[in-house]
Amino acid sequence: MPNCTFIDPLVTPYVDGELPAADRDLVAEHVRVCAPCHSRVAAEQAVRTLIHARKTAFTATCAPESLRAKCRGVARLKPSRDVDVNDVARRRPAGAGADPRVSGATAVTWRARLAPFALAASLVLVVGGAFVYQITDKSARVMAAELTADHVKCFAMNRVLDTHEGATAVESSMISGFGWQMHLPDEPARAGLELVGARPCLYGEGKIAHIMYRHQGRPVSLYMLPNASRSRELVEVLGHQAAIWCVGNRTFVLISREPKREVEQMASFVQASLR
Amino acid sequence: MPSREGLDAVSVSFEVEALASLDSLYRTALRLTRVPADAEDLVQETYLKAFRAADQFEPGTNLRAWLFTILHNTARNRVRDRARDSVVIDSEAVERAAEVAAFPGATSSPAPETPESLLLRDTLAPELQAAINALPDAFRQAVWLRDVEEFSYAEIARMLDIPVGTVMSRISRGRHLLYEQLHHLRPVNA
Repeated sequence: MPNCTFIDPLVTPYVDGELPAADRDLVAEHVRVCAPCHSRVAAEQAVRTLIHARKTAFTATCAPESLRAKCRGVARLKPSRDVDVNDVARRRPAGAGADPRVSGATAVTWRARLAPFALAASLVLVVGGAFVYQITDKSARVMAAELTADHVKCFAMNRVLDTHEGATAVESSMISGFGWQMHLPDEPARAGLELVGARPCLYGEGKIAHIMYRHQGRPVSLYMLPNASRSRELVEVLGHQAAIWCVGNRTFVLISREPKREVEQMASFVQASLR
Repeated sequence: MPSREGLDAVSVSFEVEALASLDSLYRTALRLTRVPADAEDLVQETYLKAFRAADQFEPGTNLRAWLFTILHNTARNRVRDRARDSVVIDSEAVERAAEVAAFPGATSSPAPETPESLLLRDTLAPELQAAINALPDAFRQAVWLRDVEEFSYAEIARMLDIPVGTVMSRISRGRHLLYEQLHHLRPVNA
């Protein structure tokens, strides 16, 4: 008669009906005479049955229509190889050859599209480990570097996803996401800016707002960090300029690769017209 | 060599089949991130990678499991990138603690009643959802993938990048933690 230690690793597959007949009989025989193991099996079986019985409640949640549309959009791009896909490489069948579906031009396009991902990954490595307020409180440069990494990553993603949101949609996402009743600058074109959209990004231990613009076609990010105070500063980091200022208990950071003077002008415009 | 039309047809069917898993990927992403906006981001990135790597998918294998593997790998990389490993560390600590505790509830109260019928009678879906959400990450993922998404142990092992034995022990501990939690919610006279 097997003891409890022998039975232990067999309990879960027994409950799941995954054991071969011989092992199943061994467990069943042991459980009949061992009260603790009987209770263990009964408890595990009870939870399994309960989850299966209530499963419809879990599967009632569906993906939002907007997400469905975005994923369909991603599917339509249909590039298929010649990219570094670390997350799936492990499953690649041995000896997989070149895909005739991908022309040289397409592959080059995708390499170009993915280059910013690689840059973003490098930036994340550079600043990795410092993603906590306790550290970033001490250094505007570290914060600016982290946000610059996020800026590059988000625009790289957006190049593929091609998100475009109007001012009303961005303003309403700021209210729902951050309780931030705000009004985006009217006529951003006066400062050469064109609104792209907004994303909630993770930073430190919470969420921050990321509003994306283009300045004469080039990426500009405006971040809003709730409950954070910083002194006014212009920091040059990782080839970008980051203009930092504070209004009440919100810190704003405007990031771009544009020349210092342009960044200062954009930051002044946003600060004066953001309400 | 297959015609371009033929290849496009294969590609379209791949897309249709892949997109059929959108709801379950989103639900699982919600369990991983707990924040709808982050879950949406995670799912989009998953599809982006899946379509980019469509030629790496081995026909005849489980496409849904392949997508879930990408989802979990992406989620793990995000956690790493953000140096926000505290939750994972917490899960591992609980796992070790569970090892030491060796199911105290089961040994201390060999219930003569049927746990199955009592739990079924007394536990509503919202209580169960809350209890699952409260599980440490490692156990929540394992129980969710097995009992809700109904993947095999081997498929879950690939998704979570852990040995099959660890998958089984996480499922077991997750279920026992749920049992303990829900058992305590039951009315005293039940």
